[in-house]
Amino acid sequence: MSIDYAGGRFAPRAALIEAHRDAWSRIGAAGDWWNASARVAMVEEVRAAGACALCRERRAAISPNAVAGDHDTCSDLPSAAIDAVHRVVTDPGRLTRAWFDQIASSGLSAACYVELVSVVATTVVIDTTHRAMGLPLPLPPAVIDGPLGQQVEHDVVDDGAWLPLARRDDDMASATGLPAVPNIRRALSLVPSAPALFFRAFMPHYRLGGLDFAISQTQAEFVASRVSALNECFY
Amino acid sequence: MLLREGSRREGTIANLDAVTRSDADVGLMHGMQLAALVEATVANDGVGLERACRDALVAMRADAVRDALLVAAAFNGITRVADATGIPLDPPTREATVALRPTVGIDAFDYAAKSARYD
Repeated sequence: MSIDYAGGRFAPRAALIEAHRDAWSRIGAAGDWWNASARVAMVEEVRAAGACALCRERRAAISPNAVAGDHDTCSDLPSAAIDAVHRVVTDPGRLTRAWFDQIASSGLSAACYVELVSVVATTVVIDTTHRAMGLPLPLPPAVIDGPLGQQVEHDVVDDGAWLPLARRDDDMASATGLPAVPNIRRALSLVPSAPALFFRAFMPHYRLGGLDFAISQTQAEFVASRVSALNECFY
Repeated sequence: MLLREGSRREGTIANLDAVTRSDADVGLMHGMQLAALVEATVANDGVGLERACRDALVAMRADAVRDALLVAAAFNGITRVADATGIPLDPPTREATVALRPTVGIDAFDYAAKSARYD
């Protein structure tokens, strides 16, 4: 089943449907640091996380670190990757630097982690959109095998994030009050294909200015802010 | 910051407490309906979302309800990018929100505060 949003309670614009279809097929192809099968397995783990007993127990605990155990998994991804997918999906607001360091020390490279986050977050956008339109989730993308790209950004700096970020020449505020390239655009910049994938799906949903939507820019900012607060997102 | 500045430009004053408090009214047109749509979307609550859509459609055009849902879906993903990478605030945002963040409660989401609570 291809992504078409047919039969939903609302019909997204054609540009959004095309962007999601394209992002979905990109997930199904080999990435830079994960092969196509692993990337599709991440989509399946995103969905498995919603029914994972360990994730549910951790969500209910005062601290996610208070509960040990194994995730209910549906793939043969490395255990660190499975934990990363499940935690990012089910408890993103309580991720910490110590958790990230533990993931990194368990053998998941920074480049692999960045690519994983891009696939997971893109899947969350597409799945959330399907649910919002009252539709069942689309089948995972078809696997399209190919060689790994193995591209990584070399001109990176430590700018206070958990990961190296592509260098930014200028952090002066633009008309929106944010730099021309805000940190959120740099978050996945260690692997250039990662932000390309995520923002392919994201961009038809929102703009910082000149929003041509049936809600005002301010209403959109309230929606965005409220989602961020519910997900306990500082940024 | 974008909410505060945007509402000023549009000649309204958004109640920023509504960002972190579900019982507060943001003071924007259809604010309560927007909040209900967001909460059901983030909670992945199918029944609640159906009800929120039905209620919103009494007051809002269908394309406005749709667009609110699409913004919510996008931010349900992008917040995970931010949370999973620990990216800091952009310098202009950091400076412009010094007084605002503790008042609204956003400082509770600061990475250091989370580490102190959960590690």
